[in-house]
Amino acid sequence: MHVLILLIEILILFAIIMLHVAYATYFERKIIGHMQVRMGPMRVGWHGLLQPIADGIKSFFKEDIVPEQADVVTFRAAPIICLTAMLTSLAVLPFAKGWVLADINIGLLFIFAMSSLASYGVILAGWASNSKYTFLGGLRSMAQVISYEVAMGLSLVGVMMLSGTLNLTKIVEAQGGSFAGMYVFPQIIAFFVFFISMLAETNRVPFDLPEAETELVSGYCTEYSGMRYAIFFMAEYIGMMVMSSIGTICFLGGWNGPFEVAVFPPFWFVVKVYLFMFVFIWIRATLPRYRYDQLMSIGWKVLIPLALGNIVLTGFIKAFTG
Amino acid sequence: MQIQYKPKRNLLQTILHSEIMQGMAFTLKQLFAKPITRQYPQEKPEIKLGFRGQHALVRDQETGQSKCVACMRCVTVCPSRCIHIRFHEDEDKGSRVVDSYDIEALRCVYCGFCEEVCPVNALILTEIFEYAAYDRESIFFDQERLLANWDAFAAMKGVAINSYINPFWRPRGIPESVLTAAKRLDVPEEWTIEGQVVGNLVKQDQ
Repeated sequence: MHVLILLIEILILFAIIMLHVAYATYFERKIIGHMQVRMGPMRVGWHGLLQPIADGIKSFFKEDIVPEQADVVTFRAAPIICLTAMLTSLAVLPFAKGWVLADINIGLLFIFAMSSLASYGVILAGWASNSKYTFLGGLRSMAQVISYEVAMGLSLVGVMMLSGTLNLTKIVEAQGGSFAGMYVFPQIIAFFVFFISMLAETNRVPFDLPEAETELVSGYCTEYSGMRYAIFFMAEYIGMMVMSSIGTICFLGGWNGPFEVAVFPPFWFVVKVYLFMFVFIWIRATLPRYRYDQLMSIGWKVLIPLALGNIVLTGFIKAFTG
Repeated sequence: MQIQYKPKRNLLQTILHSEIMQGMAFTLKQLFAKPITRQYPQEKPEIKLGFRGQHALVRDQETGQSKCVACMRCVTVCPSRCIHIRFHEDEDKGSRVVDSYDIEALRCVYCGFCEEVCPVNALILTEIFEYAAYDRESIFFDQERLLANWDAFAAMKGVAINSYINPFWRPRGIPESVLTAAKRLDVPEEWTIEGQVVGNLVKQDQ
């Protein structure tokens, strides 16, 4: 019985997240369109509201092409690995008090593990396609994710030290309901490091080198078509949402807000996540892509030392103030 | 030439990403600007004076036929050589009779020289621009098609067609004395040489 309820909960979460992913693409296209003084999608439905559904139907019914020289099994598995890893990390996110599928004590570590696992999908996709663009994209993604994973992990150590736990629900509770209690204030350096690594981790502009259109066609998903391509896309957007959720939980006080919304407890959580998403899109509309060596040197020479310094600083302050 | 570089960022500006913030502020401002998109099939573009669109041969209201006198000036002036005319001489009247008048619109560059040079204002580039087709034949205009194009344009213009004067029928910057009688027309005020923006060459000639 318990398993059945859990399954239903998983299904509901899956459906809601997929809907959010679909409309996140719409949101992104609209925002970027208006920032570029265009209108974005306007044709399908009122102001293009049905565009994501039309896109979904289109990519679902498109031919699924597997290149002749590709490693078929890995090629087919790669997008699924990507999507599964991203979806799995949704299980530990607390959307509101008690609104979490798996309230495990190593939630933060679990999410790190899953987001590194998702990069396996990207690398395998790049390798299995047997084409130079995908291979370069996969290589870049590997190097990028490995270097930024470190910075991101270290930046969240400060949060762990302050809250004394890895359980995401407890991290939110440790911040309390007040505005000043949010960890973004005592951990401003960590937030800075986290934010930049978050952009790099999700392969977003200005760190979208794995799928740099101008150089690598479309990077690791060049050889993919139809639904498999769409799965990579979904994985990227779920990744954005997961990272925004981590940011919200660890720095912005999770579901706590100025006032309680009794009808819909995760209200403030959703607002904050969409605020993050907006910033993602805003940055995409503004900044050009980094050069690859600059990307690496920012990761290793700036962010990691900053994060390490932040750990030492937090430790000192915590030791002296108790 | 003195190149003005931006002043170097100081440390505080680097830490606060002042230049990135400027860019972000700009895009945020643009988010609330009015989009310049025109929703095309519903919203047609405004057609300005001097628009050069689909070709047509003006149908003479008295004879119901083309005004063309087969002087071959348009054929001569056409830079892309897309106009082809065949004619024979009428022995009795001593005038030329057009046998065929063809325009390969796919080769045309829409320079408008042909309508400027035509001594009897027989040729016009209309304001119609939506005539894409799936085959080459339908964009190859023979005399019948060209006259039909004029009828379509006349239908679009309605009553105003009676007083319609194409600005190119009266070339700019040329004294009236050297023009043929048919071309000594009144053009709209905004098309005259003073009231409009012209290239430097035209200005020098003034």
